Amino acid sequence: MALRPFPNVADSSLPASTPEAIENNVQPFFVLHKASSGRKERTSAGQGKLRKRNELSSSSPQSTKKLEGRIAEESGGHWFQQLQVETFDLVWSKIESTIKDVLRDTDASVFNQIQKWVMECFNATRSVGEPSFDEATRSFPILSDNTPSQLFAGLVITRNIEFVDDILTFKELSLFLKSHGCHVAMLSSLDFSVKNGISGCLKALLQEFLDAVVDAADMSILASWYREQGNYDKPLVVIINDLERCCGAILSDFILLLSEWVVKVPIVLIIGVATTVDAPKNIIPLHVLQQLCPCKFMLGSPAERMDAVVEAVLVKHCTRFTIGHKVALFLRNYFLNQDGTLTSFIRALKTACILHFSMEPLSLILGKILTAEQKDGNFSLSAETMLEYVSELPSHVRNQMVDQTGKNLAQDLLELVVIQKLWSTAVLCLCEAGKHSRVRLLDLFVEVLNSDLHLPSGFGSHLGAKNGLVLSSSKDQCQQHGILQRGGIICQIARKVRDLPTVILHQLVKRWEELTADVSEIHEKLEALQSSLRCEDDKSSNKISKENSKRHASRIPLSIGKDSGMINSQAVAFMDCLIRNYIRPIESLPFHEIFCFKNVEKLQLALIGDPRRAIQLDLLESHKILGCSCCKKSGSALLPSMHDSSILHSLSQEHGDLINLHDWFQSFTAIVLHHKTKRKQKAKQSPLPKKRKDTNESRDTSEASIQARFCKAATELQITGLVRMPSKRRPDFVQRIAFGI
Amino acid sequence: MDLNCEEEEDELGFSRNYFLAKELGSSGKKSTHKLSDIDVVDEQELRAAASNIEPKHKNETAVLMDNYRHMYSQWVFALRCGSGLLMYGFGSKKALIEDFASTSLTKYSVVVINGYLQAINLKQVVIAISEILWDQLKAKRKTLSHGLPKSHQPFSSQSMDDLLEFLDEAEAEAEEDCFVCVVIHNIDGPGLRDSETMQYLARLAACTHIRIIASIDHVNAPLLWDKKMVHTQFKWCWYHVPTFAPYKAEGMFYPLILAHGSATQSVKTATIVLQSLTPNAQSVFRVLAEHQLSHPDEEGMPINDLFSVCREHFLVSSQVTLNSHLTEFKDHELVKIRRHSDGQDCLYIPLSAEAIQKLLLEISQ
Repeated sequence: MALRPFPNVADSSLPASTPEAIENNVQPFFVLHKASSGRKERTSAGQGKLRKRNELSSSSPQSTKKLEGRIAEESGGHWFQQLQVETFDLVWSKIESTIKDVLRDTDASVFNQIQKWVMECFNATRSVGEPSFDEATRSFPILSDNTPSQLFAGLVITRNIEFVDDILTFKELSLFLKSHGCHVAMLSSLDFSVKNGISGCLKALLQEFLDAVVDAADMSILASWYREQGNYDKPLVVIINDLERCCGAILSDFILLLSEWVVKVPIVLIIGVATTVDAPKNIIPLHVLQQLCPCKFMLGSPAERMDAVVEAVLVKHCTRFTIGHKVALFLRNYFLNQDGTLTSFIRALKTACILHFSMEPLSLILGKILTAEQKDGNFSLSAETMLEYVSELPSHVRNQMVDQTGKNLAQDLLELVVIQKLWSTAVLCLCEAGKHSRVRLLDLFVEVLNSDLHLPSGFGSHLGAKNGLVLSSSKDQCQQHGILQRGGIICQIARKVRDLPTVILHQLVKRWEELTADVSEIHEKLEALQSSLRCEDDKSSNKISKENSKRHASRIPLSIGKDSGMINSQAVAFMDCLIRNYIRPIESLPFHEIFCFKNVEKLQLALIGDPRRAIQLDLLESHKILGCSCCKKSGSALLPSMHDSSILHSLSQEHGDLINLHDWFQSFTAIVLHHKTKRKQKAKQSPLPKKRKDTNESRDTSEASIQARFCKAATELQITGLVRMPSKRRPDFVQRIAFGI
Repeated sequence: MDLNCEEEEDELGFSRNYFLAKELGSSGKKSTHKLSDIDVVDEQELRAAASNIEPKHKNETAVLMDNYRHMYSQWVFALRCGSGLLMYGFGSKKALIEDFASTSLTKYSVVVINGYLQAINLKQVVIAISEILWDQLKAKRKTLSHGLPKSHQPFSSQSMDDLLEFLDEAEAEAEEDCFVCVVIHNIDGPGLRDSETMQYLARLAACTHIRIIASIDHVNAPLLWDKKMVHTQFKWCWYHVPTFAPYKAEGMFYPLILAHGSATQSVKTATIVLQSLTPNAQSVFRVLAEHQLSHPDEEGMPINDLFSVCREHFLVSSQVTLNSHLTEFKDHELVKIRRHSDGQDCLYIPLSAEAIQKLLLEISQ
């Protein structure tokens, strides 16, 4: 992109100082420009995009030629960025849908329970007696002693204090119930605010059910709508997703109202509760609580959801996009220490994805691979197809790379894909074993990405184990495995497996079999373990039958214990072998940059802006950012050449929480004038006319201008929120707001 | 876990600093210098001088801006991927963002909101955005087979919810990448800071056809947003872009600190406030002003007297209406209350007789 020099900020030619711009500055809003001028261009770009897509999917030499021409033609990065955006869309939409599916699956059983319960409640309400036509069409509720007025309420315990994560869950629940023939209305705590009152809340309810704006807040509208054909005979469900944030009074009114109408409008409430089952007691008064007939449901904990997401996206590589160790560590700490919401984790992942595609030109290959996989429906990629993608790379086309290089690259890429598959299977196996020691997949994931883990020193004691599985026969030998000497989570898992009871070990091996089913390379290694397990089975059953016949029951556990110890040891050996052979950190593989995002600093900057710290640092260390030579010289001393706001902010650090305006101004004046007097002295010593002119020129030393500069700088600090203006009570003091960086 | 340690250290340091500062403020002898000890020049002169301040580091800031231009393509990419851009760092970012918008976002319509102003009618903004998007979609769909529904309710009569729904319409395949960019200078500004406006802004940001480019200057700006807004609606991508450019437009409405302390409310600002009020309110003010001019030695005008005079002139019908006018005056510091020697509350205008005369002249024009 050809860059025209940026107009000088202070230049009078700056657009901000033209009359029109000044006019714009005081407008609350204005249209900077419309897309109209670019519209034609854009539509043509849009068509071009489709064309490009076709060209890319067919990889005939002709199209390559065209591509080449196009690149030359559009020397700007527009075309390249278009490709980047398309690839990002492709990859991220895949990740997003995978996450949605995973979360839906984790919630599926609870959703089913809720749906069943809703139907039961509906039938229960119905069985009490349907209103006659006459009754039902009247515009007031049926109230008599023998009509029920209990409202069924499902309390969904979200086990998550952050309601952000549950927004999606409840949306999914709503869709699920709708698909099972319920009418669903979603209300949020915003609808239960004092400001809106009960009428606002009713309006929101009507709008949700009727799907139209209703001016009157009247339950009879809902009742008559419910009588209509097609609406009747379906349960009505109202979902309130965050009980704790609702206004208690409004919610109580709402519940009382619904319970009066429950015969005509059989509504079932579903309430999201973040804390405990007792929460409604604290919010709703007792006489209202009596109207509710509660039932409790539990959602999965955030940590469980997190593990499910990590497994699907990062371990099973739904898109091949992955992250490096440092990024993983950062995300984990961010999740555990800062935010604790899955939503923030997903957004962080998305940001990582955006940064990856914008920074790594080769990442475009990822999109190609993904498209191919989706087309084929499996992972069967050949070196030839890889080569095709490589040859389509802009860099390749432009440089007319030698064929051999391309072939090598293709081969390496293919290898990388294969290694990734083995890697994810191995991690899943470890995770399965880790379930017995309550290891979180996220922690395990971070550890297996760590390249320090794979230092050769960890394998010092490892001899002769290179060719796969070594069957060790005793616990002592078991100690030989590097896995046990490494420390960390993997070691913890291995120790647990070493002591697992046989029955559970059996289950574990079964799960391993399932996990490795489509990866023959690892599956073979498991076979030794399986066979010894099988023969152990036979032995023990034989023994038991023998021993039973001899009625020497006391000896059984001993012998089994000894043999199973051997199997445990074999299981550990299997895990060790997994780690040694398959868990190589992705960052050590060639071409991993294509799939792997590693730049943790960039991610951190984009994700967590820390304006409080950053703005103060900008002011205190302005010379570092500006890179000027004039302010660098003297360590911490303030120089008049510094920005006025910088000087003022640095001076404010010397005061307590209150700054005396007079003192502040005097020290500011002293600093600004200090250098001037020095310069004057210098000028006296060497009275060159040029220098004298220089000092005479300094018109900004006049009292008015110093005061004005002080005022401006103070205003700027006020805009940044670092100081507060003098109050009426203390007209001579400015209040400091930020303390420390 | 090094990270944790560092964080804790930071937090400790922070609280230590706070208490140290507090201690310094209370135990150390507080400076008793008065603002009035400074020989402040006339406010007009001060303002004139303020507008002529020569910026420092001209070349360095220009280089800084030039460096940011290399990031424009990354910013566009993040926008197209659905993120919002949030610019922070010291210095006005107005010129930077507008330069970015007018060089790199030419393909898209750009609407600018000046959040540093006191009052912004968000509904008007959303209506304008909807109209732009409507034109854009119309032009787009003309080239395709299906058009938009011919007749539609004018946007100005639709509710905010309807407008947001229109902006959030699911994208058709051919319409991807069709959005309106909304530049918000100082999203933490006084006109946008309240929670209701922020909720609307967040909902606007979450719309499929909208992308937000915003700037913040206040160190505590992130407190304006809850997790839902940050993670699911604004989806900020943060960029630290200190420009060290003077806050010209942003600081326009701040009083000058040295001129602020004394009660010299300038005629100019008072005129602006008064002119924005109803003629009745202006007349009430005039009654008070004339009273003060004719009774220069009195402490002020008792509220009851003001009420009876105003009622005689048919300016107000009840005490309630008068009070609402007075509240308005007091909010803008046009009028102050002090206790009369006989115990009665009375009203006075904190301006000199000359200034009041000038003011009356101004509003009678």
